[in-house]
Order: sequence, then C-alpha cells, then structure tokens
Amino acid sequence: MKKLGALILSLVLAGGLCGAATAADTLAEAKKKGILVCGVKDSLPPFGYVDAKTREIVGYDIDFCKAITKKLGVKLELKPVTSASRMPQLMEGNIDIIAATMTKNPERAKQIDFSDTYFFTGQKFLTKKGTVKSLKDLGGKRIGTAKGSTSEQNAAKAVPSATILSFDDYPQAVLALQQGKVVAVTTDESILAGQLGKLNKEPSTKGQYEIPDIQISDEPYGLGIRKGDTNFVNFVNKTIGEMEKSGEAKKIFEKWFGPNSDTPLKRNFKITAGK
Amino acid sequence: MLKYKFDWAVVTSGKYFDWLASGLYVTIQLSVVSVALSFLLGLIIAVMRMSHVRPIRWFAHGYLEFFRNTPLLVQIFFWYFGSYKILPQAVNDWMNRQNFEFAAAVVALTIYTSAFIAEDIRSGVLSIPKEQMEAARSSGFSYLGSMRYIILPQAVRLTIPPLINQFLNLAKNSSLAMTIGVAELTYQARQVESYTFKGFEAFTAATLVYVVISSVITILVNIYNKTVLRPMRAR
Amino acid sequence: MTGGLDFNVIRDNLLYFFIGRYPHGPLGGVGLTFYLAVVSLVLSFIGGLILGLLSISHNRVVKWVSLTFINAVRGMPLLMVIFWMYFLWPGLMGRPMPESQTVILALTFFTSAYMSQIVRAGIEGIPKGQTEAAISTGLAPWQAMFYIVLPQGLRNMIPSFVNQFVSMIKDTSLAFIVGVDELTHIATQVNNRTLVFPTEIFLFIAVVYFILCYAFTELSRWMEKRLAWRKAI
Repeated sequence: MKKLGALILSLVLAGGLCGAATAADTLAEAKKKGILVCGVKDSLPPFGYVDAKTREIVGYDIDFCKAITKKLGVKLELKPVTSASRMPQLMEGNIDIIAATMTKNPERAKQIDFSDTYFFTGQKFLTKKGTVKSLKDLGGKRIGTAKGSTSEQNAAKAVPSATILSFDDYPQAVLALQQGKVVAVTTDESILAGQLGKLNKEPSTKGQYEIPDIQISDEPYGLGIRKGDTNFVNFVNKTIGEMEKSGEAKKIFEKWFGPNSDTPLKRNFKITAGK
Repeated sequence: MLKYKFDWAVVTSGKYFDWLASGLYVTIQLSVVSVALSFLLGLIIAVMRMSHVRPIRWFAHGYLEFFRNTPLLVQIFFWYFGSYKILPQAVNDWMNRQNFEFAAAVVALTIYTSAFIAEDIRSGVLSIPKEQMEAARSSGFSYLGSMRYIILPQAVRLTIPPLINQFLNLAKNSSLAMTIGVAELTYQARQVESYTFKGFEAFTAATLVYVVISSVITILVNIYNKTVLRPMRAR
Repeated sequence: MTGGLDFNVIRDNLLYFFIGRYPHGPLGGVGLTFYLAVVSLVLSFIGGLILGLLSISHNRVVKWVSLTFINAVRGMPLLMVIFWMYFLWPGLMGRPMPESQTVILALTFFTSAYMSQIVRAGIEGIPKGQTEAAISTGLAPWQAMFYIVLPQGLRNMIPSFVNQFVSMIKDTSLAFIVGVDELTHIATQVNNRTLVFPTEIFLFIAVVYFILCYAFTELSRWMEKRLAWRKAI
C-alpha cells in the first residue's frame, strides 16, 4: 500500500511538472487560442461584481482585464475566483491572469510573478459607528475577514488577542458584522469602502457604519501572472504603463472611485514601472 | 517551472500540526454533540411519525421530507445567516456573544441527521412483529408505554448499525461547517494550505484522519453485527 | 431588523437564480445544478457498475483492491474529494480543467463508490440458481452475468438509482466552494450583493431544492411499488 501510494505521488508530481511546463508562455498561448482567461472577484464592488440588470461581471479589475485583452487583440473570458482559490487556479492554468484585489507580498512572489502596482490601498476596519476608536477596542473581540487573504494574517499580527473569523469572502464577513456576529471586518480600505457604500444604499443600514482611521498595513495590488512568464509580465506592465500615460488608468479609477461613485476615494498612487 | 518540494514536517510537527490537531478536536466535538442530539430528536420524530393522531403524523412526515430533501449546506447557511430575521433580537444578541458558528452548525447537522435517523428507527420498529405491540397493549401498557418498554428497546438494537452509519455520515458532513467559519479539520487543512502553500501535505493528513475514523467505525459495526445481531436474529 | 420578510429580492433576481448569466455567459443557477447532477449521475452509474462488478470478482486481488478503494472513498467527506480533484487533477492530467468539470469528476468519483454498493446488492439479490442454470446451458460466466443476472438486477436497482440522484442534486450544492455558478453559489452571490435578505434567499433556494428532490424521491417510491407488484405476479 505504501509503495502504491508513493507511485501515485510521483505520478501526480510528474504530471504537475509537465502541466506547469506547457503553460509557460501565456502571451503566445492566448494569441493562438484567441482568448485570455482572467480570474476576478464576482461579488466585491467596485472591483468585480455581477451587475443586477445585465447579469454580467463588471468593475475596476474587469476594466484592466479588458484593456489588456484589447491591446492583445483577443477575447476576454472572466472567471470568478475567491481569495483562497485564485493562486492555485493560476498555477494550474485554469486562469491566465489574476485581477482580483491581490496584494503583492514576498511569500506570494515566490509562487507567482506580479505586475507593477495598479491599485494602492491600506488595510483598515469596517465597524458599527462609534464602537471602535483604536486597535485597543478590538482586543479580545471577534473580527471577520476572508480565508487565504493577507488581511487575515495582518489582523492576527495587529490584534493578537482577537478571534479572527474567516469566511469564504468579505461580503459574508460584512453580513456577519451587520448581524452582530463580529464587531469589525478587516481588509483593504478600498474593499471596505465598497461594502460601506452597499450598506449606505440600504435604508435599514444607512449611516450606521464607518471606517475608522486605523491603518495596519500598506496594500499594493498587482496583477498575478505565472512564475517565470517574463514575456507576459513585460507586456502587462507596458500596457498598464501606457494606460497611466494616456490617462485611461485615471479614468477607470474615477469611474469606480470618483466623487460621484458609491465608494469615493482619493487616488494617492500612479502606475510606475518597477513598483 | 513549478517545483513542488514535499515538506511533510509542515503537518507532522510545529504550529501547523497544532492547527490540524485542534481541527480534529473540533470535528469530534461537533460530531459527538450533534449525533447525541440528533438521536434524541430522531427518536421523537420517529414516534410522532407513527402516532395515531393525524396532525402529529403529518407534521413529522413534513419535517422528514423537507429536511431530507434539502442540501445540508443550504440548511447551514440558513441557520447561520438566515435565522437572524426569524429570531427575536434578544436571542440574536445572546447567541452572538456565544460561539454562534458552532451552534448553527450543530443545529443544522442535528436537524438534517435526525430526519435520516427517524426513518432508520421507524424501519427498525416496523420490523418488530405487530403482535408484540398488541400483546403489550392488551397487558395494560399505554401506546407510549409499549413503545418505551417493549418496541423501542428492540428496535434500537436493530437500528444500531444504520445509526452508526449516520454517525459516520455526520462526521463527514461536519466538514461543511467550515463554510461558516467553524475551525474544524477541513477548515484547518485549508488554512495550512493558504499559509504554507503545502496543500498536498495538508489535505493528505486530513484525508487520512477521516479515512481512519471511518474505517474504525466500520470495523466496529461489523463486529457488532457478528456478535450481537446475528445471535439475536438466530434466536 | 428582526421580522418582516421581503421577497422582492427573489422576484428581482428570479431569472438569475434559474439560469445565471446565460445567454450572455455560461449557464448557471438551477439549470447548472440540474446539468451537474444529470451528467455526474450517468458517469457514476458507469463507474458504479464497473466498481460493483470488480468488487464481486473471484480474483482476490481485484476484489481486495476495489473494496479498499470503495471504502476509502466512502470514508472521505465529499468536500475533501472536491478539494483533491481541484488541486491535483490538473497536475495529473497536465492541463487545466474548468471547475464545473472538476466538480463533475469529484461527484462521479464519490458517487461511484456508493453506486457500486447498490449494484452489488442488486446482483446478490438475484438467486444463485439462475447463474448456475445459465452456465449449465452452455453460457460462459460473463455471459451469464451480462445476459441473465444484470438485466434483472438493474431493474431492481432503478429505485435506488433515483434515490442516488436525489443525493446528487443535494451534493451539487458543494460546487459552490470552488466557485461553480450553481444554485447555492448564485444564492450566496445575491446574498453578498444585497446583504440584508439572507433569510428570504436561503429559504427560497431551500424550497427550490426541496421541490426538485421531493419529486424524484416520490418517483423512486412509485417505481419501487410498481416493481414490487411486478415481482409478485
């Protein structure tokens, strides 16, 4: 039985190596197939969510996917991913690029490559108004976040005495907050702003929530690309660099985070090569 | 080129081993509490299902059909997120101060499993010859009395193997509690995976634990069948 | 917040619940749930038949290996099987696989183990005398199995298969975990978007699942009665 197990293991492993080897040149693959598969969030406004009327996925991340496929001259296919599933999905080749609110960090950079930062934010908390003024107020409390995210790890570091409750994605954590099951939801401010906008649209929850000015980390977002696929990284960086120059990147930001949007934020970053 | 290096030390010692061990502990807690409750509830529903009072029988019938024919996952979501609007605010506030994830998982698992257990008990009862009930009634026992002292003790003995199977299902089904943040075995395996990227090791460890648990239980059922049931049937 | 259910959220998203992003995107919702269940059932019928026949083989190695496999799969939670397929199958095959196929494969793998038990019981329910008679008329053992025993056994198994289909419909809800747009995933999505109607949404999909499953449960009962009646004459 042990030997059989070992045999299966080595088979699986050999298979894994082949799989990774065949999918190394995304650029050529995509051109050949005429399609690029983009892993995005599907219920996280304004980055990626299903529009109620058209039943299609839209958002900031999707607009970047669109720009890249337009430049590449191929069709775009959107595939919903979660924080926990996006990296395995990319490494296994189910998707070609991740545009799903993913923070660049050294541990992840060991597994995949990142583009230049295309969005910049910091990790904060979403709470009921007036309940949390400093990190101390969160000690020993229950904090909601999403599985497999950096937010989970940052929060555990910032408030060691708190119980971290991980859900499949942020909106479920927000639902838990709204029902009083956690006292705060923690993740990037941009995502929280989207959730706050949603809560403010609902008459029964309007004006009851806030994002206190407590930041526990910097969160630069990058587009995720398979490790070692330098061609594609360069292509993506060139594309988003050009978008910055032409003002298209700013326009996309204004569309989703401008003063008239549900999630007004200041654009405190520029897409810069090498960052 | 993706190079996967096996690192079994991740799951056999240190912090991540502790995570998995605590996950196993929660899985066992969840299963044992739920199986005890669902046995009780299943017994009650089974007796109601065989009642001579129609509305009681209908209620039990509806209960059985509804909870057996709806996915457990949906029931878990319903009790965790959906019960909020049905329960009074005071109960919600109280529940939220407790470990509500665990409680919601127990409620969902108990209700779901009790529906199956009730049917197992009922078929156990139906396999007891009718004359026994008639004899018990004619010697002065009430309906509930004859159930309690004559029929159920025998039926339960016959029902033990399917009941243990239900326990097995329950232990496996408890993995769904991870979706609402209960840190049981599957949840912890996934956590280890997302912290260390050693998914293969983490899932292998968790799978082995599940298979070992179920193998042990299956062997126990076989022994029970051989030593208790076969002689009982031969009599 | 407590009290007052508002089912408008169901009405507004009704089409989304039933077909997902179709026709602008892939089929989802109830449509996909049904598709996943049907395809997986057909595949696991084949898988179960093969496994079931192997597990009653006279070759002891074959029998032992297939029984070990069956018991190992039956000991695993379906969620675990889905994770395995999700993480390992692409590596094994050397190419990526859409999530819906991952789920179909996991369901097939999982249900085949259970189906094999049904097949085995069905075959063992046919009196041994029939096989002996068939062999004595000159049929080879495999011919006796395929022409005499299996056709009768399979007919008796039909109600159990339909029951298994009910479990399958319920099991497809786990596809939600890997992001397949079936009914449960659609429900969590709408729930995530609207935030304040979880009770209405989960109650609604529970009823939808119930209607689907109950219809097939009843079908299986009706078939069982009919078969019993036929056997009596």
